Amino acid sequence: MRIRLSTIWSWLALAVVVIWTLLPIYWFLKNSLLTPDEIARFPQPLYPLEPTPAAFFNIFGFEYEMADGLVRRGSGQANQIIRGLGNSLIVSAVVTVVTLFVVLPLAYVFARLDFPHKNKLLFAILLAVALPPVSTLIPFYAMYVRLGLSGTLVGLIIVTLTITIPFVTWMLIGYFRNLPQVERLARIDGFSRFETFVKIIVPLGRSGVAVAAVIAFLFSWNEYTYALLLVNGTTANTLPTAISGFLFQHPEPSHLAAAVVLTMVPPALVAFFLQRHIAEMNLVDPVR
Amino acid sequence: MSAAQRTAELSNLRFSLLLALPVLVFLLLVVAYPLGYALWMSLHEISFFGGYKATFVGAENFSDVIDDRKFKKSLWITVRFTLESVALAMVIGLLIALVLNRKMRFAGLVRTIVILPWCISLYGTGVIFSNLAKGQTGIGTAIAYALGFDEAVNVVNRQWVIEVLAVGNAWNMAPLVAFFLLANLKTIPSRLYDLAAIDRMSRLETFLNVTLPPLRFTLFVFTCITTVLSMKLFDFIFVLSGGGPGTASSTLTYRIYKESFKDLDLGYGAAMSFMLLALILGTTLLLYAFWGRREARSI
Repeated sequence: MRIRLSTIWSWLALAVVVIWTLLPIYWFLKNSLLTPDEIARFPQPLYPLEPTPAAFFNIFGFEYEMADGLVRRGSGQANQIIRGLGNSLIVSAVVTVVTLFVVLPLAYVFARLDFPHKNKLLFAILLAVALPPVSTLIPFYAMYVRLGLSGTLVGLIIVTLTITIPFVTWMLIGYFRNLPQVERLARIDGFSRFETFVKIIVPLGRSGVAVAAVIAFLFSWNEYTYALLLVNGTTANTLPTAISGFLFQHPEPSHLAAAVVLTMVPPALVAFFLQRHIAEMNLVDPVR
Repeated sequence: MSAAQRTAELSNLRFSLLLALPVLVFLLLVVAYPLGYALWMSLHEISFFGGYKATFVGAENFSDVIDDRKFKKSLWITVRFTLESVALAMVIGLLIALVLNRKMRFAGLVRTIVILPWCISLYGTGVIFSNLAKGQTGIGTAIAYALGFDEAVNVVNRQWVIEVLAVGNAWNMAPLVAFFLLANLKTIPSRLYDLAAIDRMSRLETFLNVTLPPLRFTLFVFTCITTVLSMKLFDFIFVLSGGGPGTASSTLTYRIYKESFKDLDLGYGAAMSFMLLALILGTTLLLYAFWGRREARSI
């Protein structure tokens, strides 16, 4: 059987792409499965010799008995991890819902209707995308310290919205623009403008709306800068800041790895959906 | 249309206002107000000790920033980091797109794997790459030992830390670039490749004349996006290197963080953050003036 040379090359290229993507993840993921003995070794083994899920139990505060009878105790930071997980879920859910309510009408208006100063307002949204979080944080920080909002979930939710709203709006403008022009037909059928938007445009663009929701969720789930400076060390800490405890205080590599793997679960779950639909979002159009 | 109907039917403007006004007010609150507040702060010296106090100092914060040698160093680090990140992200993104553009089995699975780095958070990427590059845990050390050397390979050092950061950042950003380029590649009719073959174009000529032209505007837009993302990046750098070793990777964002939230000199930090904003906007405008305008016209 003869295989064409170009086929070999394309398989090779594909292999390189997959290795480039997965190697850093694998190299980290394996830490969560190593035994303390293996972690202490230098150099560290290339793969876990006796893979053990102990760290995943430990970070939730459970003990884990190894095959050799050794008991690995639950992490002292388990409470923070659990609370962080809860807070992260609350913040992400609220941010996603609010973002959708704000962004859908806004993007629709920018995509389909004409009104004075539209381009200037569009520029303002792009400007908001370009603002560095550390800069936005300075006024918010001063404001929150005086209003008593630092260290609260409400405060964190408000700042997180400053990231999700501009970006998702920008994404959806291009998407809504490419939907078929159904407004006129809807009006002939007796729909009011508002009904057209709610009953026709949103259902028509449901995959775009779903991507918007997923992106808003991902961005707030992954948010770290604001959480670090506003809620770190308080009862409102989110999962990433709870993990910072492992990073800088008690170096426990397998716990750190297991906790970070925990934060990667939602992104991994939405990856299949996103790879199918992300390119429907037109980031290029609004700029043109 | 009768007059009665016309009044019942909302005008374009009024409908837009009705839908967008509450949102715009909200946006104004969360974007314009903080920006204005930051501007006010940059003109004051803010102190927290012994109660909140703000003293008007005019442009002093700004002139202090310009005279600050650490600022100039951070500026240079930001520029170097951004150039490397953008170049890597665009090239790798284009290569991934070209690889994914072939017909293959398990395409959905492969694409799911490829988009993963973009879905993972930036602090996660920071932890992953610090694990990958540092001497104690790094892959360099493991390979060196496997090959029989007995020396740790640590690349998070003064010389290479920025390159490590750029590679990690590109790893995170490249999938997004790749997926949008891939969407463009799919629109190229295969007929054009047949014609190129008839013209006996070499592979390079085909790439330059058939594949590249429809990608150019997307390439421009994503060069801008990756530039902005790299310049405003903070959490990844904070987690991976903490601005170190020493100040070797203190980008502007890291310096702003340190001045504002460690030394609590909020006025000074605000002034510096306006410099960063000017850098970001200036760079994108330059990119548009010298590249984007030409591409937009050619479409």
